[in-house]
Amino acid sequence: MEKVDEKKYIPEVSQREVEDLRNAIRAASSRLICEYIERMKKIWPNRPDAMQYFDEIANFFGIREKEIREAKEEGKKVIGYTCMFAPIELILAADAIPVRVSSGWYDAAKLGNRIVPVEVCPVIRSTIGVKMIELSPYLELSDALITTLTCDGMTKLSEILGDYTSVWTICPPRIKDSEQSMAFWREELKTLKDNIEKLTGTKITSKKLRSAIELMHKAAKAFRKLQDVRKGNPVIMGRDAMLVNQTSMWDDIERWTRKTEELCSELEKRAKEKVWACPPDTPRVMITGTPIIWPDNWKLPNLIEEANPQGVIVADELCSGDRFLYDPVGVDELTMDDMFNAVAERYLLPSTCPCFTSEDGNEDRVNWLITKVKERRVDGVIYYVVRGCMLYAMEYMRIKKVLDKLNVPVYYLDTDYTREDTGQIKTRVEAFLEMLKSRVEI
Amino acid sequence: MLLEIISELLKLTVFAGLAFAGVLVILIWKKDLKTKVSYMRFFIQIMALIGLFYLFSCTNSLLLILFAIFTMTLILGRFFCGWLCPFGLYFDLVAVIRKRLNVRYWSLSEKLNRNLNRFRYVLLFFFIILPFALSPIEPWQWALAIFLTGPFKPISVLLGPVEPLVIPWRSVLKIYDLNISYPYASIITFYSGEDFALISVFVFIALTLASSFIVRRFWCRFCPTGASFAILNKFRVFKWIPLLRLNKVEEKCTKCGICKRVCPLRVTEVYDQKGGDIATSMCMLCLRCVEMCPYEDCLKLNMAGRTLFKSRNWLEPSKIK
Repeated sequence: MEKVDEKKYIPEVSQREVEDLRNAIRAASSRLICEYIERMKKIWPNRPDAMQYFDEIANFFGIREKEIREAKEEGKKVIGYTCMFAPIELILAADAIPVRVSSGWYDAAKLGNRIVPVEVCPVIRSTIGVKMIELSPYLELSDALITTLTCDGMTKLSEILGDYTSVWTICPPRIKDSEQSMAFWREELKTLKDNIEKLTGTKITSKKLRSAIELMHKAAKAFRKLQDVRKGNPVIMGRDAMLVNQTSMWDDIERWTRKTEELCSELEKRAKEKVWACPPDTPRVMITGTPIIWPDNWKLPNLIEEANPQGVIVADELCSGDRFLYDPVGVDELTMDDMFNAVAERYLLPSTCPCFTSEDGNEDRVNWLITKVKERRVDGVIYYVVRGCMLYAMEYMRIKKVLDKLNVPVYYLDTDYTREDTGQIKTRVEAFLEMLKSRVEI
Repeated sequence: MLLEIISELLKLTVFAGLAFAGVLVILIWKKDLKTKVSYMRFFIQIMALIGLFYLFSCTNSLLLILFAIFTMTLILGRFFCGWLCPFGLYFDLVAVIRKRLNVRYWSLSEKLNRNLNRFRYVLLFFFIILPFALSPIEPWQWALAIFLTGPFKPISVLLGPVEPLVIPWRSVLKIYDLNISYPYASIITFYSGEDFALISVFVFIALTLASSFIVRRFWCRFCPTGASFAILNKFRVFKWIPLLRLNKVEEKCTKCGICKRVCPLRVTEVYDQKGGDIATSMCMLCLRCVEMCPYEDCLKLNMAGRTLFKSRNWLEPSKIK
């Protein structure tokens, strides 16, 4: 795609500086990915071999990058997206490769400060920074980006990224339930569909859409199975499950499904043999709030599962985690119209994003939390918010009141894309886990 | 005499046995949870058509069948429309053809749908009042007229439409020995002259079938027969009676909207209502929403507190072996 000549936001950065920064951060990041995986292996000594595959895919600069590059040379298009509102089925139906490009790189967030103020959510700042120095292979390989106007950060991010590449914005209505919202959202996706068709040169036929939906059904089935395994005593550490969830965002979905099924059958076998990943009385923690994105932003999961006393993450309510593939597209009739409506509804209606409101507030999120707390026997919830993430921060009181009623302690943890506060957060997380531990023992 | 009764009973037993075996076969054969109940419903609809045919031809008492269905509706809810009505079967067959042809359906706006639902009571009133308007009778005869299926047939509005459908030779309308009887056609022909009837019946048949091709179960949205059953569930006095109830668990619902979209009548209450028993006179208990709901235990069909059927994670194939 042709680049826009006049930059609206981006300052001129010398090519040399870009290269220096990229090489430095890239080297550090490669090391960090290996280090995090080593740490995950250390905490869970009998980690199943099936996890090996996900470790490889988790490497941003590894085989998956090469695969996408090769596919691109063969003429396939890559379409990146920032939020989980982007209809993956439509991208797959057009024979394009979907990749999620929101960034978790800490160091890149500082680069974003050159364009937007520090008060802005670091996920946004980091994504801008990554684009500035061309760090993320998936973001660089994307032929077009689908950005969603959910929060303020995402709204302006789409403008800023427009300086580099072609960006398609889709705007979800902030009230979901009404008829006119649905009609509006459908029109948004129709425009998006036309754009995808124009870029890829492939017409999205009902046959293609159907097979894409069926492919995603299989992925959702494996995804749900993995979440179901986490219901009982811990057979998988939370970090590992989160890693598997995350890899689905850039991996080849068919292969990912197969590998996840393999992992699940291994885990189910272990559950039968009663081989636990950690002692069954380990406090069961749930994370909710701002998306946690691999590779850098693994601070909180690391702290929880390496803390003393140890905790285990059994559930989360993150759009980069348990929510990602959970809802299937419910096709009633195999006509193009109904399938398209089904896809549109799946991406809008079950979403628990705090950008939505209704007369009862963000009811869907509350319901999700209550169900998961009961189903996974959660002992405590960590409400994770990065500084500048207004919508999640503002919803805290509502969630706290609901969870208080269930007698589940909530801990509000605010942090930033920085490693400096690791020690301080460690103390806070350990204190919380200590408290949970004593509650579990009672 | 005794032999005759025994043979009749035997026939009924064989029929019931066949129906039961058919349901069982579908339960075992259909592994896909998304279509399991739909297939069962189709089978039962066809069985009901045969059953009604048999009942009409041997007992010959419309009032008795009407009474039985009335009582069942009172106890079980408006399931007649979804599971037994032969008229509904026609529409479903049209929908199957439409799906085969890969043609989309049109959905009406919620407001129009609600208004149509109100309109059905106007139609019901019209059909009941019609005989009185056409041939005035003495007030003392009214009670009799309402309770008897005489020349006025006011009550047969409720089940009369089904009658020509299941006993073709009693139908009024025949062209070159070709039976074109259709629900409500007998009523139309009953109240109008032969020539006018011929045209109006054709128009009626064409309209209802065509409309069900465009909008799913269009006629059912304001069918007066449905209204008569809906009335029973509408009055507060009767509200506690229906044993069959759709139940929703608010917490498990993610409001994904599937239940609203797949509903052939576009009932919105299942989606809108927060948890508990779904109270609506529009629902015909076809259970399409329950089988399509992808969240385990979220939607249930309860009978007197016991769960008969509930939503499952249909991504997994059925576990019955």
